[in-house]
Amino acid sequence: MECRVLSIQSHVVRGYVGNKSASFPLQLLGFEVDSINSVQFSNHTGYSHWKGQVLTADELHVLYEGIKLNNVHHYDYVLTGYTRDTSFLEMVVDIVQELKRANPNLVYVCDPVLGDHGSMYVPQNLYPVYKNKVVPVADIITPNQFEAELLTGKNISTEKDAVEVMDLLHAMGPDTVVITSSDLPSRLGDRFLVSLGSQRHVRPDGSRTTQRVRLEVPKVDAVFVGTGDLFAAMLLAWTHHYPTDLKTACEKTFSVMHHVIQRTISYAHGENNRTSYQRLKLSLFEFHEQKH
Amino acid sequence: MECRVLSIQSHVVRGYVGNKSATFPLQVLGFEVDSINSVQFSNHTGYGHWKGQVLTAEELNVLYEGIKLNNVNHYDYILTGYSRDISFLETVVDIIKELKKANPSLVYVCDPVMGDQGAMYVPENLLPVYKNKVVPLADILTPNQFEAELLTGRKINTEEDAIEVMDLLHKMGPETVVLTSTDLPSKQGDQFLVALGSQKIKKPDGTNTDQKICMDIPKVDAVFVGTGDLFAALMLAWTHQHPKDLKTACEKTVSVMHHVIKRTITYANEMAGPRKRPTPAQLELRMVQSKADIENPAIVVEAKVLQKSSQ
Repeated sequence: MECRVLSIQSHVVRGYVGNKSASFPLQLLGFEVDSINSVQFSNHTGYSHWKGQVLTADELHVLYEGIKLNNVHHYDYVLTGYTRDTSFLEMVVDIVQELKRANPNLVYVCDPVLGDHGSMYVPQNLYPVYKNKVVPVADIITPNQFEAELLTGKNISTEKDAVEVMDLLHAMGPDTVVITSSDLPSRLGDRFLVSLGSQRHVRPDGSRTTQRVRLEVPKVDAVFVGTGDLFAAMLLAWTHHYPTDLKTACEKTFSVMHHVIQRTISYAHGENNRTSYQRLKLSLFEFHEQKH
Repeated sequence: MECRVLSIQSHVVRGYVGNKSATFPLQVLGFEVDSINSVQFSNHTGYGHWKGQVLTAEELNVLYEGIKLNNVNHYDYILTGYSRDISFLETVVDIIKELKKANPSLVYVCDPVMGDQGAMYVPENLLPVYKNKVVPLADILTPNQFEAELLTGRKINTEEDAIEVMDLLHKMGPETVVLTSTDLPSKQGDQFLVALGSQKIKKPDGTNTDQKICMDIPKVDAVFVGTGDLFAALMLAWTHQHPKDLKTACEKTVSVMHHVIKRTITYANEMAGPRKRPTPAQLELRMVQSKADIENPAIVVEAKVLQKSSQ
């Protein structure tokens, strides 16, 4: 498989968020991963302390220029996640547009990280950039319920609402939408959350079809950081292998998540009284045993 | 296995040098890798063009402070390689000293990158820092012949010279020394280069012994970048698995190198086309494709044990 991903995300010295969360799994699955680190921090910001440096939009451009000057700016996928800076995000959009000109088959996997549980945790002025510039160039997006509602201006109270929201998101650009988590009541009870997905294709005969999927995902009683980044990376990988089968791509993605999270939780509880963030990092180093 | 490595090396967006070269293999082998990127460049400096940013010594300190403030400054290994900046290197030394205080069993794997084939390719003023501050802290050292000669002030013309130089390096600090490549003539002919290694071991009865080994490694007709970084990372991994058996650690390391390089050159020649020399972009190590070889290398080289002497 010769498949090259450009991933523009955070780097943390210790732990698994951003590029640290996305690269290793993708590499294990045989993808070439070029990574631009949007920041370098000691660790994620859920720890008591964090320190480091951020990349400016200019510096991002300089790095891309280097790639371009060597005529190696040819990618099959672009992957982005958490960003806090409007000008940085706009530079990312410019880069994605140029890369799409260089390779019209490029697939842009975008996690439109804006917030969760009813509140934004990025600056508000990122919202119009996502809505008007980023999502229109995305091919696969992985919003949570809050982000899907924010981007479409529609609330999700029922499964029907969710399907309408996903269709609104399709109309904005992406052919594949996965609402990674929602508050919808699960058929399996309150220990489960509901995720939904929608994928539009054009059949060989030229007609259009849409596949909708729904998953009941076991809840876990802990706060994880980096899981969204792992999710988007895995969805990239599994939609690559199952480009017209969202059901299978989602089952694999959610299953990987489940195994990593279970292992992480077991490990975190293994040490008496150590439930601090350092124990809740993803146990990715054993991940490769579970990948198939 | 719960083994945490702090690797302080370059990051390139594209390709495999520095941390990009070291991290994936170590993670595949089950190590937790914390990585501080000393630079972020688009690609390595052997391409036609390269662009990016460097980390200052101050910024390095800030990152380390973050780790320390969270009380997670506990490592089993440190790994360093190519550096161009004295103050950065000196800050690395301070960090290592502190980490060794926090964990006296910490093993510092150091590639003292200074040059090759008779010429330095880092600023000259790094030599005294390596000689006086870095190498004394190192536990495992992977110089090439030129770097070993620079550090000891002694030339290597014969196998005997190489052994004496490795002993001089032991005296400076590291208990494990591997001369990754030399100009010494190989008994297998001129398609091979000679590498040597030396490890001081304490026997159960308290006496010292050392194991010296020698390997004939097939030469490859191409210039690779990042292979030294991969080598040091693999030495870390295999000496961890075989702490008193330098022979096996080296055989596994060199075998993995062989598989990666062979895969790389096959691919590069395919990409370049007949009678064309591959470009640096085409010669990037086929790291991801070599996962199985990294995990479980078929052994393709045999290290010869030279001598075992008690002291």
